[in-house]
Amino acid sequence: MRLHATSSGSYPRIGDRPEEQVLRKAIAGLDRGEKTEADLEEARRTMVGLAIGEQEAAGLDIVTDGQIGWYDPVSHMTRSVAGVEIGGLLRYFDTNSYFRQPVIVGPIEMEEPRVVQEYRYATGVATKPVKPVLTGAYTLAKLSINRQGVYRDLEALCEAISSVVVAEVAALAEAGAQLIQIDEPCILNHPEELPLVEASLEAARAAAGSAALALYTSFGDATPLLSRLVELPVDVLGLDFTYSPGLIEAIASQGSPKTLGLGLLDARNTKMEEEEEIVALVEGLLPAVATGEAYLNPSTGLEYLPREKARAKCDLIGRICRRLNGGSS
Amino acid sequence: MSRAKLDALGLNLPLLPTTTVGSFPKPDYLKQARTRYALGEIDRQELRALEEQATTFWIETQEELGLDVLVDGEMYRGDMVAYFAETLEGFTLGGLVRSYGNRYYKKPIITGPVRWPGPVTVEWWRFAQERTERPVKGMLTGPYTIMDWSFNEYYPTRADATLALAKEIRKEVEALAEAGAKIIQIDEPALSVRPEELPLASEALELVTRDLSVYFVTHICYGAFEFIYPRMLDLPMDNFDLEMSNSDLDLLELFVRHPFTKDFSFGCLDVHSHKIESPETVTARLKQVLESLSPDQVWVDPDCGLKTRTVEEAVEKLRVMVGQAEALRATLAG
Repeated sequence: MRLHATSSGSYPRIGDRPEEQVLRKAIAGLDRGEKTEADLEEARRTMVGLAIGEQEAAGLDIVTDGQIGWYDPVSHMTRSVAGVEIGGLLRYFDTNSYFRQPVIVGPIEMEEPRVVQEYRYATGVATKPVKPVLTGAYTLAKLSINRQGVYRDLEALCEAISSVVVAEVAALAEAGAQLIQIDEPCILNHPEELPLVEASLEAARAAAGSAALALYTSFGDATPLLSRLVELPVDVLGLDFTYSPGLIEAIASQGSPKTLGLGLLDARNTKMEEEEEIVALVEGLLPAVATGEAYLNPSTGLEYLPREKARAKCDLIGRICRRLNGGSS
Repeated sequence: MSRAKLDALGLNLPLLPTTTVGSFPKPDYLKQARTRYALGEIDRQELRALEEQATTFWIETQEELGLDVLVDGEMYRGDMVAYFAETLEGFTLGGLVRSYGNRYYKKPIITGPVRWPGPVTVEWWRFAQERTERPVKGMLTGPYTIMDWSFNEYYPTRADATLALAKEIRKEVEALAEAGAKIIQIDEPALSVRPEELPLASEALELVTRDLSVYFVTHICYGAFEFIYPRMLDLPMDNFDLEMSNSDLDLLELFVRHPFTKDFSFGCLDVHSHKIESPETVTARLKQVLESLSPDQVWVDPDCGLKTRTVEEAVEKLRVMVGQAEALRATLAG
């Protein structure tokens, strides 16, 4: 199989039907003292089950748990890390959603990997392989507040947070993950800091054992960095095509020594892509990929879309991959 | 500079005028009524009566607290973008999307040409203004933010959608001005997200505000101001209302490097915290802002709309804010 259908991380944790609103109700109930942590966990698991079920029904080859338990892409990774407090809200890139900024108050020390626990639950529910998704050390460091002088600069902070990511990667590989995705969206707007990403990925690579590593970038134009991104120590490079008028041309002309994650379906707009248009783009790109292999996925996590549209985009991805892999559509 | 404009409009405001960003919490009876209305258990008229009751409560409460410039409190609105999307033609209301934490909203979809259907907010503005001698702000969401916070399935580009919205929102601004609104706030919280689109936002706001005798305020929050400052001072606005308290006041460092040339509404209450600020905290924040700005320029308000707090929290937070602003005003005047 040369084309793998997958999703890019998050999936809606709510829908318009009442049975899709159990998590929202559980959290609100917990706030009012009417529900318990156990109720919340049960609701979370229900929504993880729905997210996985919908991805599998769409025909995705590799699914995610939808990051249903993540408050946001940033603070979740540092919630059980000593030396980090969770601060105020900041807009997440150009989305209309917000994350809480980690505030570095002391030496960073991982207490217990969290994502691996979510991964274990998801593998018990899924019939397809599950891809765990982590936010990378550089993006976490870049979006944290480090004013108290605990770490002298961004590089030192990045190295410290890298230990958190490495611990998750090691635990995930140990738990059987075959493909681990690391998101580093911040790098696209700060190309001069690429060595920080490289250093943290090398540490993750060493911890990953036989698991493949995928680096995903989004929320910016990857074209200027492309030739350097494909040299990073990962097996798969995920690209967001929605910001990049020149990216397709750049890949066609430069080629890619690496397997690519093709973020060709816009995870930020409800407008549906034309199947023929995506098929043509994939067929144009695949010959430029040296491994002859690619993942087809949304441009970023699907949580920015209403549930029905997220499902429709997954359906389209599944359909295109079956068609291009020579199966029936 | 803007003081002269305020005076010319007949708005005789004290130093450090106190105001709020727009939304107040809905009383429980109104929340329940909105749910019942959505379920078809009560009719529009019954809901409207309770919205009026709640609006009257907030006008009285703002007067009692001693706020200088009032708002209608947006008792009749759900989400700030969805509200306009529901009233302007050309939108379809989409499914639920998460904003943060456990908060969700129905993100609108632009599915056809946008068109102003006639006055949207004027009636509520008038209802509020009739109940007070103090000025009530007109409250609108700006074209750039409505575009950015909607899905766009119709217009070829973001610029096309923004400018089309600007032409329609202009009509609402004219209607408010004609009804007598002298201060109009145009919220553009999305403004700082794509610095390269600041010229587009500016062009759109120019279309909305050009040649009108109105004091314009814009509210921008939770953004990376460092990328659009000082360029954003060129926007056709008299007063910038920026979220500050949520981010440890680091914006003030920018103002030291490049002077703030417009009026400034200083958000000195964290609306996302249940905790009531102590008088000392609020005074310290106000004094800090006055190190970088002249008292002539500064207005005092919370850092965002208060709708996510309880009624009691909102009132207590504002009581501290108004009290400290008045005390500081007295020392400045003395």
